[in-house]
Amino acid sequence: MNTENTTNASSGGTSPRSSRFKLMTGNHRGRIAQVPIYLGKNFRMFIFQNDWKVLPMSALIAALIAMVVGQNMYVTMEGQFQCSLALTCICIWNGFFNSVQSVCRERPIIKREHRSGMHISSYVVAHLIYQMFLCAMQALITVGVCKIAGIKFPEKGFITPWFLVDTWITMFLITYASDITSLFISSIVHTTTTAMTVMPFMLIFQLVFSGGAFTLYGPAAELTKLTISKYGLTALCAQGNYNSLKSVTLWNTIFRIRDSSPELKEALWQIEKAGQLENILERSGEAMQEAAYAMTKANIYNCWAHMAAFAAIFAVLSIIVLEFIDNDRR
Amino acid sequence: MNVIDFSILDGVSVVIWLVASFGLSKIFKKFNIEGWWAYIPGARIYWLGRCADREQDGKVAMIFEILTYPTLFAIQVLNNDLSFIKYLVLLFIFFDIVCLIYKARICIDLCGDLKVNKNWAWLWVFAEVIPCLVWGFSDKYTPSKALLRYNGLDPILDDFIVRSLADNVNTTESGLAVKIKDRTVRNFLDKRYLLREIFMNIEPGHMVLLLGGSGSGKTTFINAVTGYEKANAEILLDGMNVYDEYDKMKYSIGFVPQLDLIRSNDTVYRTLYDAALLRLPASTSFSEITKRVSAVLEQFGLSSVKGSLVEKLSGGQRKRLSIAMEYISDPYLFVLDEPDSGLDGVIARDLMRRLRSIADEGKIVIVITHTPDRVVDLFDDLIVLAKDSRRTGRLAFYGSIDEAREFFGQDSMEGILRMINQKDEGGEGRSDEFVLKYAERQVENS
Repeated sequence: MNTENTTNASSGGTSPRSSRFKLMTGNHRGRIAQVPIYLGKNFRMFIFQNDWKVLPMSALIAALIAMVVGQNMYVTMEGQFQCSLALTCICIWNGFFNSVQSVCRERPIIKREHRSGMHISSYVVAHLIYQMFLCAMQALITVGVCKIAGIKFPEKGFITPWFLVDTWITMFLITYASDITSLFISSIVHTTTTAMTVMPFMLIFQLVFSGGAFTLYGPAAELTKLTISKYGLTALCAQGNYNSLKSVTLWNTIFRIRDSSPELKEALWQIEKAGQLENILERSGEAMQEAAYAMTKANIYNCWAHMAAFAAIFAVLSIIVLEFIDNDRR
Repeated sequence: MNVIDFSILDGVSVVIWLVASFGLSKIFKKFNIEGWWAYIPGARIYWLGRCADREQDGKVAMIFEILTYPTLFAIQVLNNDLSFIKYLVLLFIFFDIVCLIYKARICIDLCGDLKVNKNWAWLWVFAEVIPCLVWGFSDKYTPSKALLRYNGLDPILDDFIVRSLADNVNTTESGLAVKIKDRTVRNFLDKRYLLREIFMNIEPGHMVLLLGGSGSGKTTFINAVTGYEKANAEILLDGMNVYDEYDKMKYSIGFVPQLDLIRSNDTVYRTLYDAALLRLPASTSFSEITKRVSAVLEQFGLSSVKGSLVEKLSGGQRKRLSIAMEYISDPYLFVLDEPDSGLDGVIARDLMRRLRSIADEGKIVIVITHTPDRVVDLFDDLIVLAKDSRRTGRLAFYGSIDEAREFFGQDSMEGILRMINQKDEGGEGRSDEFVLKYAERQVENS
């Protein structure tokens, strides 16, 4: 070992055993050099602590969503919206579950290692890299399962040459931003029980304030800007060219009440006979367009940037919060 | 449109509040708390919590009570904006309900302490002026135990020790020199002394038993000595100041916590290897690290299980791994907090023998254990920390095991512990006596 005798011969020989103080000199591993240590630990946890189970879980959830609401995605506005919302929700769900317990379950261990020279930033960065891997895999699995389950994705991408890659990037960013948000929660709370109590509130907040599930007004509408779900939903709808799709809500509603009036029934029959149905659906879609879901690169980049910013902000906050871990009570 | 009637601010309410505060100040005095705290909104509920031995509840109640004030102020300022004010009113009600719940919890316990019917607590919550006056002015209601707070110097202990001991105990150049004047914590509105006047010199190669009852400050002492939680002190390790050089010296100081804080789903070898990567200098080659890890595995009898997951280890093996993680950097000062807890006698003794062999290499090993008598023959010295009558940790003895037996007139370590423990902990409550006796002895010897 690279140690060096520094001071200091035992004075007086009061003890039969001589002093043998070796002060370690030389630098110990810095922040960057410690990252691989914790990255290795995380990947071993992936195997030994059954973290790998999140991957088949994400496949299962994606399959359920694809079966229930997937068939009308990229076909009608309603199908596109429902499926985008559902996919956003499962990405958030995946992300939250990935890391909500990852820090708090080993908090006393972190405290011990911090005392022994561990850098908190190295620990968090190792988690960021590891969670990036997990989220990337989950997004890949989700996209793959949706494809296999029969969702007809467009061929050509809008940002990249491949539409599936565009979708994967969005899903990855939703999952990753959620993941790092829950990493932050896990850094604040002290027990896994508290973490699992807080998580449902976070999920409900994301769902309610996504701006998709409910119509919001006033200050509540402003809160949507603080949710990952809003940007995820917007990106998925924009990528699917929501505004160019036809809307079936109006037609389906009128069709359901056709028996209430013979004139209405006759009018519907005439529209179908004249081949005007598609035209009606397209006109209906035009009336339902949302400026927020405009298929523009700026819009999609804006959503991606916001989700990346969420991840970055919560990563920094996690480091700051964990730096105070020495204050934990014994 | 004025939608809120701020009756709380009217003159009658203020007078009632002042009268209640006057009664409360009398109650505080009974608990050894300065009466003027009763007139500080927010702080008074905290101190009430302290009186009821519900400090945490007192803190929460104080925070929520303080939160109600800006909310109330905002309601007053914005009372024409009905659309916004309803949210503030909801917020105020929420804060107030939380505060009331915590206040009820505090008052119920306070009733128990003052030996009155717990139904009084409801009266306290909704009309505090009555119990404040009755309990404050009637001598019938006295607390079963006054709050133990540090108010200046103790006439017997502190006066003698502070003036004579600190200047008379010399530090040696080799080994560990401890000069702790005090270790305090500022806990919310109160300052507490955790340790006071602990002076000693521990020689290299000594294995030291740290003995003390619950709350006597053993862990605080260890944290202060290792530099983890700095005290008002000077800690010298072979003449080098631990506090000044902590970033360098922390790798030469090993601390093994009471609990086995190890990731259970990692292998023994990787756990130790990663510990080596963290604790050894970056310039150490990988072959040297591997060699060191193998040597430590061998030394602690873990070679046969190095490929096993930590969760598969027995209690003794896991404890040895926890120690090995610290020992990997070959620390000069090695401190262990109850390394033998949960281990049977044979395994515990085997573990202590290993620690003895580490001390024989010229290291200083300090061990806290709650079952000292089964291993006491392996130790050179004994440190006895005692909680004095003011619940501050003090040094009641430091010296060899034989000297300790003579000093306390006891053959067993548990006997010593029984003498210094407080009476409410099943002891004889003679800690002050021995603290003073030891201080006098130190001054005589210096």
